[in-house]
Amino acid sequence: MAPKLPLHHPVEQSSTANAGGQAAAHPAPRYGIKRWLLTTNHKEIGSLYLIFSLTMFFIGGTFAMVVRAELFQPGLQLVEPEFFNQMTTMHGLIMVFGAIMPSFVGLANWMIPLQIGAPDMALPRLNNFSFWLLPVAFTLLLSTLLMPGGGPNFGWTFYAPLSTTYAPPSTTFFILSLHIAGISSILGAINIIATVLNLRAPGMRMMDMPLFCWTWLITAFLLIAVMPVLAGAVTMMLMDINFGTSFFNAAGGGDPVLFQHLFWFFGHPEVYIMILPAFGIVSAIIPTFSRKRLFGYASMVYATGAIAILSFMVWAHHMFTVGMPLTAELFFMYTTMLIAVPTGVKVFNWVATMFRGSISFEPPMLFALAFVVQFTIGGFSGLMLAISPADFQYHDTYFVVAHFHYVLVPGALFAILAAAYYWLPKWTGHYPNLRLAQWHFWLSVIGVNLTFFPMHFAGLAGMPRRIPDYALQFADFNLASSLGGFLFGASQLLFVWLIIKCVRGGEKAPAKAWEGAEDLEWSVPSPAPLHTFEHPPTFRHESK
Amino acid sequence: MWSVIKSVLAAFFGVQKDARRREDFEKGRPVAFVAVGILMGLALVGVVALVAVAAAR
Amino acid sequence: MRTCIVWIAGCLVVPLTTTLAMANGWNMPVGVTDVSREIHSLHMTIFWICVVIGVLVFGVMFYSLFRFRHSKGVKASHFHEHTLVEVIWTAIPLLILVGMAVPATATLKKMYDPADADLDVMIIGQQWRWRYEYLGEDVAFTSNLGTPRETVRGEGERGEHYLREVDEPLVLPVDRKVRFLMTSDDVIHSWWVPDLAVKQDTIPGFVNENWVRINEPGVYRGQCAELCGIDHGFMPIVVHAMEEEAFDEWLAERKEAAAQEASGVDREWGLEELMARGEESYNAVCASCHQPDGGGNAPAFPALAGNQALMEERERHVETVINGVSGAAMPAFRNTLSPVEIAAVITYERNAWGNETGDVIQPSDIAERLAD
Repeated sequence: MAPKLPLHHPVEQSSTANAGGQAAAHPAPRYGIKRWLLTTNHKEIGSLYLIFSLTMFFIGGTFAMVVRAELFQPGLQLVEPEFFNQMTTMHGLIMVFGAIMPSFVGLANWMIPLQIGAPDMALPRLNNFSFWLLPVAFTLLLSTLLMPGGGPNFGWTFYAPLSTTYAPPSTTFFILSLHIAGISSILGAINIIATVLNLRAPGMRMMDMPLFCWTWLITAFLLIAVMPVLAGAVTMMLMDINFGTSFFNAAGGGDPVLFQHLFWFFGHPEVYIMILPAFGIVSAIIPTFSRKRLFGYASMVYATGAIAILSFMVWAHHMFTVGMPLTAELFFMYTTMLIAVPTGVKVFNWVATMFRGSISFEPPMLFALAFVVQFTIGGFSGLMLAISPADFQYHDTYFVVAHFHYVLVPGALFAILAAAYYWLPKWTGHYPNLRLAQWHFWLSVIGVNLTFFPMHFAGLAGMPRRIPDYALQFADFNLASSLGGFLFGASQLLFVWLIIKCVRGGEKAPAKAWEGAEDLEWSVPSPAPLHTFEHPPTFRHESK
Repeated sequence: MWSVIKSVLAAFFGVQKDARRREDFEKGRPVAFVAVGILMGLALVGVVALVAVAAAR
Repeated sequence: MRTCIVWIAGCLVVPLTTTLAMANGWNMPVGVTDVSREIHSLHMTIFWICVVIGVLVFGVMFYSLFRFRHSKGVKASHFHEHTLVEVIWTAIPLLILVGMAVPATATLKKMYDPADADLDVMIIGQQWRWRYEYLGEDVAFTSNLGTPRETVRGEGERGEHYLREVDEPLVLPVDRKVRFLMTSDDVIHSWWVPDLAVKQDTIPGFVNENWVRINEPGVYRGQCAELCGIDHGFMPIVVHAMEEEAFDEWLAERKEAAAQEASGVDREWGLEELMARGEESYNAVCASCHQPDGGGNAPAFPALAGNQALMEERERHVETVINGVSGAAMPAFRNTLSPVEIAAVITYERNAWGNETGDVIQPSDIAERLAD
């Protein structure tokens, strides 16, 4: 399904460019596969990212379905424990690195230039390169499933020495694929920073930017800071496996816990990399459909910055049970509790934006509202997990699984879906089918809560994560989770159908597709022509 | 200098008066804010660490 | 309108589910130690704080969604900043968190004080079983999954303690402070019994400490909490907490049995009895990788049945079982199994499933090798 972007933008739709100047500025359009392989256009690359992440979402989702099917009832029915471990691992890796992160980059590619009035990303060729690294990385990663000994089976956190001394032979390929995906992320982040800092429309100050640009700017700095740490950690693994070093091998004088420190120094900011852009999206959608300006714009920016800085100081709260000294436990408990404050401020601001607004419930708003509620539930369980003594009971159980899925599925993923519904009129020129979108929303909400809410109970009752079979007292929770999982998985097919319909036709959308939408992207026609803002728009200051 | 520290503190807390913010953005030098921000970030780590050490006694 | 009704119905689900959460088997167990009780009360405190904040925030949100609907013709107002309100809603959570940090710190300090223990137990994680050593008492044993593999595959009835039963439970006294010293022979495991509120990673090359003082006799069940390979889901923990006298009696019995087992090393063993003993140990320890029929699970776990190299190289076979294969999944069993068990397993592997070498490995030979 190739999105139907206009090859040449029709002259009558272009508000800014003149046809003569254009022929000189742009090379002759390419057709077919070459168009997509060689494109340097931010909209085409954005679409590629989005289609790629949707594909990965369904591959990772299929793995999750295998996991849920095996856990449907006690006993081993469908798969061997060895394959089960590969499924849980690949589900995590694909969803984190292949679905959530690239979809945010795709949204950034499409929307940041439109929101700041730039003609394209600052570094278009780099942009092409950073996208095309991804299919390479993930083809490599998925191919490990077909190798002798199977693919990665040590969890997406790949703790040493399970992932080094005791790992399957394919681990070296897994490391290489993470390297490639990491390079792609870093290049994408550099591009976004360069774009946001340099290509804003004349007169647009930093504090005039839509919050999506702000959150992505901060996310990009996080990416640049932590991806090299991940690269370092996996390189040390590579050396341990292939070159006889002993970074993580206690028998050779190494330290397995060092791996966890390195991983979570990357991993915790990574968690915020997956949620900060979602904050930006929701901060665009809620004001639009409340017909009221975002409450506390400045404090939202500050809170994002605070979360980003604090995210570097909390990593060891993932390691409360590894036997750290008491002082370290206390330090990480305190910093983790602190991080709840700026996160709370965000939620309060969204609610205050809705208060005394004029609210309507179009599909993007539905998903954004569900995001606020369910992300907050995930935040609450996060607060509980921060209490170090209690974490000794929660750690590595389904309570943790419930927590991070609440943050990532009805959190980050719902924000991505909200963004898709919000900007589909801009991308395709058509409104998405309302009835279909409502079905998609309600089935997703029911499915996601049926899947993940019972996991809280299973975890508290004592079910550890990553087990292929379980004691009988967990059977009911798992039955509910599996049914919910199948419902949620199936209802995402509606979304694909809806996108195909929306690309092909539907109610025509005007330039300003939503009544309350204010940002710059709504000043260009719908669908957005291939080249926009070739002459910078005049940015009108609002009284801030 | 004192006003820079006050602004950074306000940013740590997350709330700042609009007028003060505008003044910072118009008159302040970014380098000063970044430098003070980094120092205060380190100070925050130090303070929390001290509290943790004291509590662990 | 319809949307709002569904949202409000959603609100009702929250109190309903919290009530259910209080029901037995849906919540964290209160447990049987002072620490576990404290942790449970911390858990409930923070839970109710979250519920109250949630009701307030979602209450305002759903009120706004209902009251300020565009479809009712409401006009939006234009405020978008209010310094005082922002200060208040930043400060209040901060204060709540400080209030929460104080009792949490106190509990954590208790958990970190293993001093003055009456009994030291070494807990060693191994793929995929637990080994317990009563330090200074010469009593040590491994504790394997008690549920038969066939039951996991669906043959026969699943009992009440399916996957949470072992061949030999860890036996502990009540009312005595027991210190755990925890380590691992291979990958990282995590020893967890919810009722005791002990969850501690066992890390190869490092020794972690934790402790427990059990208040009530009983049987407490848990399992490994850190992904440790294929059979991560199949390494349960059962703790049998006994009254002090009963425990002392049990310990004395075990000491005597251990002394007898040691003397068994010196006598000559026959093929039959070694095979019987070997089959028992093989199924408990080796079968999860090399399979009960010796078919293995290539490439990580080679087949033993019909393995020509194994049958021809007796010396290498013995060496592999005792010292493991460095850099591969095969662990060393020199500290895990007794000389009798090692001899029996090797004899079994060399004579079962049509591997009819006729070799008999004597425990005394193994003991000699282990002594080197």
